[in-house]
Amino acid sequence: MTAIAPLFSDPYYQAFAAFMTERREPDAIARLRRAAFARFETLGWPTRRQEAWRFTDLAALQALALQRPSNALIDAITLPALETTTHRRVFVNGYFAPSLSPMQPLPDRAIVSNFSQALLSHSDRISSVLDSLPGLQSHPFAALNTAFWEDGAFVYVPQGTVIKEPIHLVFYTTGGDMAVYPRLLLALEDGAQATVVVEYQGQGRSLNAPLAELQLGSSAVLHYHQVQEESLQAFHLGGIRVHQSRASQAHLHLFSSGGQLGRTDLEVLLDGEHAGCLLNGLTLGQENQTGDCHLRVEHTQPHGTSEQVFKSVLDGAARAVFDGMIHVRPHAQKTDARQTSRNLLLSRQAKAHSNPRLEILADDVKCGHGSSTGFLDPDAEFYLRARGIPVIQARALLVHAFANDSLNRIILAPLRERLARLLAVWLGLDSIEGN
Amino acid sequence: MLEIRNLHATVEGREILNGIDLIIRPGETHAIMGPNGSGKSTLANVIAGREGYVVTEGDIFFDGKNLLEMDPETRACEGLFLAFQYPVEIPGVANLYFLKAAVNAVRKYRGEPSVDAMDFWDLIHERMELVKMDESMLKRSVNEGFSGGEKKRNEVFQMAVLQPRFAVMDETDSGLDIDALRVVADGVNALRSPERGFLVITHYQRLLDYIVPDYVHVLVNGRIARSGGKELAVELEQQGYALYNEEPGRARRAA
Ligand SMILES: Nc1ncnc2c1ncn2[C@@H]1O[C@H](COP(=O)(O)OP(=O)(O)OP(=O)(O)O)[C@@H](O)[C@H]1O
Ligand SMILES: [Mg+2]
Repeated sequence: MTAIAPLFSDPYYQAFAAFMTERREPDAIARLRRAAFARFETLGWPTRRQEAWRFTDLAALQALALQRPSNALIDAITLPALETTTHRRVFVNGYFAPSLSPMQPLPDRAIVSNFSQALLSHSDRISSVLDSLPGLQSHPFAALNTAFWEDGAFVYVPQGTVIKEPIHLVFYTTGGDMAVYPRLLLALEDGAQATVVVEYQGQGRSLNAPLAELQLGSSAVLHYHQVQEESLQAFHLGGIRVHQSRASQAHLHLFSSGGQLGRTDLEVLLDGEHAGCLLNGLTLGQENQTGDCHLRVEHTQPHGTSEQVFKSVLDGAARAVFDGMIHVRPHAQKTDARQTSRNLLLSRQAKAHSNPRLEILADDVKCGHGSSTGFLDPDAEFYLRARGIPVIQARALLVHAFANDSLNRIILAPLRERLARLLAVWLGLDSIEGN
Repeated sequence: MLEIRNLHATVEGREILNGIDLIIRPGETHAIMGPNGSGKSTLANVIAGREGYVVTEGDIFFDGKNLLEMDPETRACEGLFLAFQYPVEIPGVANLYFLKAAVNAVRKYRGEPSVDAMDFWDLIHERMELVKMDESMLKRSVNEGFSGGEKKRNEVFQMAVLQPRFAVMDETDSGLDIDALRVVADGVNALRSPERGFLVITHYQRLLDYIVPDYVHVLVNGRIARSGGKELAVELEQQGYALYNEEPGRARRAA
């Protein structure tokens, strides 16, 4: 019993106890929260002695007195938009903002909702899947999210149904040292298809620790985009769990340019034959930003394909961390798994850590990985300058060329174009056209 | 228009150019020949302002302006062009976009507005015909996957689009078949005018049959060992550089 004693002095313990007394929700959900909180207490706050957190410095975050989030009014104009019809749901500090979330007609039985609403009508559907997907079991922030989420987005697409318009989920934080735990649960039944854009934006300093759970039935197709564009003071520690059944296809695009610390832990379980995933990442870092991606792709069944392509562009004293694991179980023959991580350093102070890992327990597989870190090619830079292009523009062009094929993998044109503009602005260009 | 005086330059601390004097007037075409490693490309790179090529003595004036004080892009905007011996591949930057950026950079430098899209398209097409370049090369990344000959042709194409006042052609003929050679020569000849100057670096007299130079210089060990008319090229083709190499660094005049 002595081992439990320190827990009572833990601020999280007090916070959780207070939090639970206020919740009005199904018992099944409350049980999940308690189990998750117990898991967090066991795991504890990560330290840099743990391999998975070796390059992620949480000291600045740990020094904050984090607050329970409060709802805030924000202006729709400050929110990112896609120039197309979308099913848009906006959450401010983790709370659903109905006035910013106009409804569009959905296919029969499809649901794009917020949790508190969906729990009233589809309680079973949520509690049967929520926190049940494998992955991120030892991720303390995933556990905290399950314990503390206030609300979240619930997307359900029934068998064989295609939602054509993008589902646009915007999670906005307003700073003030709040700890926000947005939640996303997405279930595509067999043969269902959806395109989702998740945006994390905000101002000021806060902790945003979202957790997304994506479940793909047989032959389901998901295009999932995450844009993390929070303020340069923000801490973003997100998790994504993906479970894929037979012949399902997941295209996951992770773009990030925000946060003093931005980290995403992503675990994909390819749990059916012929399942495939593309994980495409682009991180832009400047000043003292750290952009961090920890991936694990697990092949359990034969004929799976996975491709991880992660790039970073680092200026100032920015750092990028890439840790990518491909795990192929003995039964998963004919797996085709690839991983590349490429980092472009724009300054001598910038640093990139790449840690590709392969654990291959099947013998008939194609697996490959490559990683590279380098500066801009001085010959290319000179070539452009020798044609009259000013040095700043020449360098921007080369960076754009490096980053652009990440953007070109995004099929959703309005998002791709917006990110291309964002990249141009990041590079200090008026625009980049014609490429 | 280009005046090189007592030019000394080092690369990685090694002296490569040992006092070059060369004056090129508007309308003139000069050829430079010389053995491998004699410093021809070094001279071209110094003129273009490449990093790592350090001028330790001497001057270069371009229309009376001190060229060595300008960064590479300013030199280009002033009307200088270098056709690279080894054109650089730039994956991800489309040729067309690159050309437009270059044309607009020069226009901006001159205080002119950006090029009109239609005018640019017309110019591109006209110049593409001149060097018999395929339109598909416009969409491709700069030089990426181009054959040796295509790269050289692309250099001439860029020159034809940018219309510089002074161009240095560093072995633009190397590796070209006879048809391509003619195309490259036509591209250069089309630009020749009383206001323009050319410095053509080559190993082969053959090119000079098509681009007839006013002067030929022999560069040996970082110095101009001899200058003459176009007949000098024929002589070199027959006799080689042996006559100039007897005393390294101190080339002798051939008889
Ligand atoms: N960037 C460089 N780094 C190191 N050495 C260099 C560099 N550029 C030139 N050199 C050296 O300078 C000398 C002259 O080279 P340069 O390229 O000017 O010769 P070149 O006359 O153009 O020869 P070629 O006919 O083979 O093109 C050579 O010994 C070469 O190795
Ligand atoms: Mg050379």
